[in-house]
Amino acid sequence: MSTRSLKTQAITSHVRERILRRGFFSHTLAFWLLLPSLLVIGLIQFYPGIYSILLSMQDRRAGRVEWVGLSNFERILGSGAFRESVGHTVVFLAGYVAVTMLLALLLALLLNRNLRAGGFYLTLLFIPWVLADIIVGLIFGLLVVPEYGLLSPILSNPALFPPKGINIPSDPAPRPWIAGFPFPPAPAMVYLILASSWRALPFITLLMLAALKTVPSEIIESARIDGASSFQTLRLITLPLILPTLVVALFNLLLGGVNGIGLVFTLTRGGPGTATEVLSYLLYVVGFQRLEFGRAAAIAVIMAVFNLLLIVLTLRISRGGERAA
Amino acid sequence: MFVNPRFRTLSLALATALLITACGTQPQPQPSAPTPQPPTTQPTAPSAEQSMPSATTEPQPASGSEVEFVTWYQYDQDNTDPKSDERVGNEYLRKTIPLFNEAFKGKWKWINQPQPFDQMAIRLTAAVQAGGEVPDLMQSGDGSLIPFIKNGVVQDLTDWIKAQPWFADLDPSAVAACTGPDGRIYCVPVAITPQIVFVWRDHFPNGYPKTPEEFKQQAEALKAKGIAAITFFGSTAFDGEGTPRFTNTLIKSFGGTFDDGQGNMKLDTPENRSAIEFLREIVAAGYVHPRTWDGTTTPFIEEEPMKTAEAASFPTGIFGYRYVNPLKAPSGKEYNKGNEEDMLDAITAGDVFIAPMFAPSGKKPGCGLGVTGFVIPVGAKNPEAAKDYINWIMTPEQNPDWVLGPGGGFPALRSILPLIEERVPVAKAFYEQAAKAVAASECRPWYGSLERRDEAKKIIQNTIYRLVKEDPTADISEALKAAEEEYNRNN
Repeated sequence: MSTRSLKTQAITSHVRERILRRGFFSHTLAFWLLLPSLLVIGLIQFYPGIYSILLSMQDRRAGRVEWVGLSNFERILGSGAFRESVGHTVVFLAGYVAVTMLLALLLALLLNRNLRAGGFYLTLLFIPWVLADIIVGLIFGLLVVPEYGLLSPILSNPALFPPKGINIPSDPAPRPWIAGFPFPPAPAMVYLILASSWRALPFITLLMLAALKTVPSEIIESARIDGASSFQTLRLITLPLILPTLVVALFNLLLGGVNGIGLVFTLTRGGPGTATEVLSYLLYVVGFQRLEFGRAAAIAVIMAVFNLLLIVLTLRISRGGERAA
Repeated sequence: MFVNPRFRTLSLALATALLITACGTQPQPQPSAPTPQPPTTQPTAPSAEQSMPSATTEPQPASGSEVEFVTWYQYDQDNTDPKSDERVGNEYLRKTIPLFNEAFKGKWKWINQPQPFDQMAIRLTAAVQAGGEVPDLMQSGDGSLIPFIKNGVVQDLTDWIKAQPWFADLDPSAVAACTGPDGRIYCVPVAITPQIVFVWRDHFPNGYPKTPEEFKQQAEALKAKGIAAITFFGSTAFDGEGTPRFTNTLIKSFGGTFDDGQGNMKLDTPENRSAIEFLREIVAAGYVHPRTWDGTTTPFIEEEPMKTAEAASFPTGIFGYRYVNPLKAPSGKEYNKGNEEDMLDAITAGDVFIAPMFAPSGKKPGCGLGVTGFVIPVGAKNPEAAKDYINWIMTPEQNPDWVLGPGGGFPALRSILPLIEERVPVAKAFYEQAAKAVAASECRPWYGSLERRDEAKKIIQNTIYRLVKEDPTADISEALKAAEEEYNRNN
């Protein structure tokens, strides 16, 4: 074999090798790039998730582990405190999602009108989002301290809130309309909902504003020319067009609402009585106050199922909405 | 797909960096205090080197080296805020830490890590169970003892404590409170903290009522003057902290109890029902200050009406004297040092007096009883330092300050009371009156045979709150039975 052909063969083999190698990388590059994230997610999501499921079937004390099967679930599901906290969670979620979505939509529609100093309003609106839950809880708590809270004189005014004004820290809930279901809620629950909505409002408003900016103005103008009213335009054109964003916002609020504990912890600690004891707070009490890790894990698993149901429900509703649109 | 080799190399480098970052270990936290220098002197305080009965096998400090001795207190020596709720304890630590470090120079260096009072027990349990950093000693009461023992959190101190010269001087009730169900001693009692009632004399010039009927009569007269007869920890804050306080005092005064003596919750009794009916009655009549229920968002706000004499009496732990200040008497006289001496001064001056709780005729006033002191956690690095510290605190020089400051009660060492009265003359009247109130009462721990105390106190306080504040027409018996069932189903 001549030197030339040897050289050619070497080059060919080198090129083939490079091509092969490039092929290997080009096919697996995405995997390698994703690997660190996958590992991190596996480490902080899947492992604790699976561990929680295992823990929910154990009783752990003083270094001893006892397998108890489903008895933790049995105890939790049969407990009055759990049933009560499910009711509080449902009331909280309904109020939190409704208030936040409605206010966010209104604000986004206003900000979408190219107001003068719109940027300034947007900056103002964003302030709650940069505050930690703990700070928000402390601020809202101070506002209603009976002795010196800024809102206390207003809330305790019987002329504004008959018959004897409202005292957020201790006023009980009115008699429930349906036995065993905490509705109407206690003033503290309403206050918690408002505080949570105030905290979440900037993000949801920005989401909606971004979506509104993508709605083509031609369609809106055409609708107006065809004689559609503002409300009709909103209901029949704008909302269906921003539906995917509304679903994202809804997910965000539902999951944050079920799992969030920061505000409950700093503002009401589940009280007065058990008026604001939502599932996430019950989990904290059982897990980190009583150190009953097995039962706390069982609550966590139930909450995960609850989250899953909410997601499925939201997706179904949004799909229904898309079809209708 | 074409991939630029440089991009590929860069991407792989980035991915590797991310991977290393994600999997890398956290940097070890630096110690909160500088590493002690090798000592040049020997300890000056006595060290009780006794045989160690615990399971701890951690190495002892090398001879001649100054070792960090870590404690957990609910007080913060670095918090100099004169309005801090814990200013008395904070000041005590600020004053005492240098004294200890001087006394044990070259041997121990006291490092205190402040903890929130309602989180201490949980944090210690979690730290021990997770094999994390635990202190050498923690300030603790008897309330957490059973969970500590069940979870293997604290060391058995029986042999060591019995070998100490001061053991014979300990009040037997204090030792009993530190004794587990197995008869072993798990904590060192330093102060005994019974529940008593602080009363403004101008509002109750003829003494505190002896019976609920007398109370209602006098409360009606006070109401006419715009004064609430009573304020107390009525909220459900701190997951039922009201139970060991007023709720227990009232229930016990009516002859009631929370348990059946066998570890089961027993609430639906005629005595308990009477107590709750009485409470409903005085709340409905407006004899209870409205701040009583507001502690959920503002902890301990129920103390405020007592400070300003808007409320005439305040049943609470004896330690209340440290917190209820400054004071303004009904006469307008002010006690405003802003520390524990305000209440002691008011008692000495006769503006405030201490009384037992009222009780129906034929019943003895009820009174919760607790102790505060120390535990040594399992896994403590320097248990010998903890023991040296306890011995130091038990000396006549140090004990009175601890009892008056962090302890907030009667000294568990019986020989110390005269020393306190001698050293702090304004404490004399306070201790005399408190001793009389305790002697007139039947004082015992609130939990009886209930083992899951955190769970029990939350269930009890929520139930009482619901029956009195949320739904004053609800069937008492039914609610009490439901609470019993909630607790007992997990027995």
